[in-house]
Amino acid sequence: MTAYIVRRTLQAVLTVILVSIITFGLLHLLPGGMVRGLLGTHANPQSIAQLSAQMGLNRPLFMQYLSWFGNFLHGDFGWDYFKQQSVGSLIQGTIGQSMYIVGLSLVLSVLISIPIGVLQAVRRNTLLDHTLTFVSFVLWGIPTFLIAFLMLDLFVDQLGWIPTSNEIASFHDALTQPQAIILPVACLTLTSFAGYSRYLRSSVLDELTQEYVRTAIAKGAGRRRVLYGHVLRNAMIPMITLIGLSLPALVGGAVIIENVFNIQGIGLLTTQAALTNDFGVTLAITMLTAALTVLGSLIADLSYAILDPRVRLD
Amino acid sequence: MPLLELKDVRTEIRLKRSTVHALDGVNLSIEAGQTLGVVGESGCGKTMTAMSIMRLLPNGGAVTGGEILLEGRDLLPLSDAEMAKVRGNDIGMIFQDPMTSLNPTMSVGRQISESVRIHKGYDKKQAHERAVEMLSFVGMPSPQRRALDYPHQLSGGMRQRAMIAMALANEPKLLIADEPTTALDVTVQKQILGLIDSIKERLGMAVILVTHDLGVIAGRADKIAVMYAGRVVETTNTETLYANPRHPYTEALFDSLPERGAESGTKLYSIPGLPPDLTKPPAGCRFAARCRYAQPSCREQDPQLTGETSEHQYACFFPVGEVERSAKAVPVTLTEETSAEAIPQSRIGEPLLTVRNLVKEYPITAGAVLRRKIGAVSAVADVSFTIYQGETLGLVGESGCGKTTVGKLLVGLEDATGGEIGYGGRDLAADRHARGAVRREIQLMFQDSYAAMNPRMRVRSVLREPLDIQKVGDKASRDKRIAELFDQVGLPRTALERYPHEFSGGQRQRVGLARALTLAPKLIVADEPVSALDVSIQSQVLNLMKDLQVEFGLSYLFISHDLSVVRYLSDRIGVMYLGKLVEIGPAESVYANPVHHYTRGLLDTIPVADPAVEKAKEDKGIVGELPSAIDPPSGCRFRTRCPAAQSLCAEQEPPLVEFGTNGHLAACHFPLRRFDGDAGEPAAVGEVVLPSQPDAIDDATESATA
Repeated sequence: MTAYIVRRTLQAVLTVILVSIITFGLLHLLPGGMVRGLLGTHANPQSIAQLSAQMGLNRPLFMQYLSWFGNFLHGDFGWDYFKQQSVGSLIQGTIGQSMYIVGLSLVLSVLISIPIGVLQAVRRNTLLDHTLTFVSFVLWGIPTFLIAFLMLDLFVDQLGWIPTSNEIASFHDALTQPQAIILPVACLTLTSFAGYSRYLRSSVLDELTQEYVRTAIAKGAGRRRVLYGHVLRNAMIPMITLIGLSLPALVGGAVIIENVFNIQGIGLLTTQAALTNDFGVTLAITMLTAALTVLGSLIADLSYAILDPRVRLD
Repeated sequence: MPLLELKDVRTEIRLKRSTVHALDGVNLSIEAGQTLGVVGESGCGKTMTAMSIMRLLPNGGAVTGGEILLEGRDLLPLSDAEMAKVRGNDIGMIFQDPMTSLNPTMSVGRQISESVRIHKGYDKKQAHERAVEMLSFVGMPSPQRRALDYPHQLSGGMRQRAMIAMALANEPKLLIADEPTTALDVTVQKQILGLIDSIKERLGMAVILVTHDLGVIAGRADKIAVMYAGRVVETTNTETLYANPRHPYTEALFDSLPERGAESGTKLYSIPGLPPDLTKPPAGCRFAARCRYAQPSCREQDPQLTGETSEHQYACFFPVGEVERSAKAVPVTLTEETSAEAIPQSRIGEPLLTVRNLVKEYPITAGAVLRRKIGAVSAVADVSFTIYQGETLGLVGESGCGKTTVGKLLVGLEDATGGEIGYGGRDLAADRHARGAVRREIQLMFQDSYAAMNPRMRVRSVLREPLDIQKVGDKASRDKRIAELFDQVGLPRTALERYPHEFSGGQRQRVGLARALTLAPKLIVADEPVSALDVSIQSQVLNLMKDLQVEFGLSYLFISHDLSVVRYLSDRIGVMYLGKLVEIGPAESVYANPVHHYTRGLLDTIPVADPAVEKAKEDKGIVGELPSAIDPPSGCRFRTRCPAAQSLCAEQEPPLVEFGTNGHLAACHFPLRRFDGDAGEPAAVGEVVLPSQPDAIDDATESATA
């Protein structure tokens, strides 16, 4: 087990470094690059060369990468010339509220999907199953912004159950204004739970056909005991991978939701950076996402080994 | 009053477009303390009978008529909750495959304690104590520790013991065992059947033993019910049934057994055709279409289960057998000829393939970053033998003995770690080029032909692919060859356009044989080719294999765990144990005159379809389980389970030496008999012969391997 963790961690680090090289290379290949982004498309070549030299962009790409990577290892993600702020502080200021909202909706999605998935599997091909399938697919397929506007209209404008909220500009805002995050969290949950519930439905159906289920019934176990004592645990095991792979979304934020509900989150930060060729921020967020992706799959594999005694990691 | 009585039970399974009449008026009864054997081919309704009693039918299945009386109480009107109280409490049940039948993520202790927690309301601690007690009751070694193990950590035999412990935790009055040993090795099978027997005695419970194996019930059941097409066709006590079957179906089943053919040296009887489609059961006697004695009236009227005595009942108008018969049975149409001509013995020619000191090891690795070898699984260890042109060499042994690996090495699916495979003057083990060139001459036939065929390819394409790959002839000649092959394996040419799933099990094995034959090979490695088939279908495939061997001068390496099948088909038999070839010789000599204690043990362990033989060999057979191949025992690998083992066996590995002029070799320090000039009289069992002249033995080894 320890050997496995060591090996996987080394692999993970290697992956993240590889991602950083590729991203760094690609961003610097962009025509004009950051300097044109800063000075505008009509800047004269002289000032471009001057600023490039100032920012160290005239050095060989390899050297630039090394100095960036060196700083990165020291926790210095670079300086954002657009916002005149360190990239680290930019991310710090936006990541908290995004993680809170996305994380909360992830947990809720999984919690909602369990009873729905099990219910649909047990009552497969009944009216209830078909109805739930229909509803899940409608919510899954509906564009997020549409459902967001519909909810705003209904709960804020029509019913007035939730007051119009101010901008959420920090993690502190998100914590102190629960009424402001209800709708964004609900939106994300409603549009994403179907992914888990559909998966769990088919997983439970698979498990129900297993012979150990027949054994459990043969020893006199009732429906409830068969379902919750035997089937659910085994059906949940493959879900772990799915949940593990959702982890990167925590740092990716939710652009549309942040836009509609006026949240200064990391999703917005990412889009803005991408649109303005601001690659200090883009690079840092890509690195975070890459790290969380490999971490998520490592956690999923480890949980697998803990939940399923047959899986031995070596 | 019988403990359990089934009266005219009807079970139906509703499918999308049709209804399967799985049970159609089943009548059975079982007394307390009795073992009832239920036999028949797959699809005959034997498992459905068990599932109907337990109300564990598949989706869409329901008992639609009749009564199931447990101590006089009808179980059918019970609600689901009431039925749950019967299951596991009054009736326990064990299943075929203990691996899939146990919850993989729950310790066996917890799974057993669940039984008593449900029915007895024990708390966690009491229930766990009961689980440990039950585990030791079923003979599980170190039950305290094993209770915490998960199913995959136990061997097959231990898993089935755990299953039995679970089924018996509440001391039920009846145990239903549905093919309890079919997934287990023969040596373990004997132990489990013995365990069920002894527990039955101790708890005074009744057992329903459902099986397809006429050998398994011969020594275990008091009473037997033979089922066919959803009905009981014959029922009586075990001795009577084997001595004097009255129903033609029962008779045909016995005639299909390979041991009968091996004894007489004739072709096996095989029941023509297939069981009827139970969505549209035929009128009249359901066996009439396949019966040797059927008269026109059999197809119109339904025979009832009756007999001269209430002890022996059968459903037939023209019963066979010896007791006063109501009408004389005359064999009429025989759709499949069962000629009694002996197989010619002169077909065996020159050596075709010579295996020398073959070794196969699988490395075991460890380490976080740099993998290093920390050990090896010794799958095949220094095996030498020769296959002659036109002969069948049978290879037997428990699973894990290396017989399948030998087959894979010969066809080139695995690379040998050491040794030679001499074929046509080249060494296939070392020379990869040679392997490619002779690949078409050595072909493989699989146990599960269905899994071995691409389900989305028509059989025509499956058969043509080898010809395409090896670029044999043009398109027209390839199609012609395939059509001829289909004729030869006895399948209609129109079936070439079908997909693999559209064939029955026996037909698939015919397709598998045709596929192996497409490239006109000289040697076919057949790995358990009939193990998944019912006995009547098995005999068809065995006969076909024999016919084609004579026609094309084929050689077979026939790998099987079933000694009677191997004996029927093989000219010579090799016995493998834990990677070693421990005995090899002419089939009859190995069978009648074994030298190695392992061979003797195997012969004693394999159930024979004869109650007298089974009862007589009560305590013989191999004990314990196969040791690990990672660190095999020193010296003779069998010594840990051998009744004659002495200290020499641990120190020196016995060489393979001659025990007869007929090429009978064995590797044992204390053989069951001495060198035998004409291999005639069987030596006394258990006689120990010390190797007094080591030099002589060395000479013999050399002459044997030369």
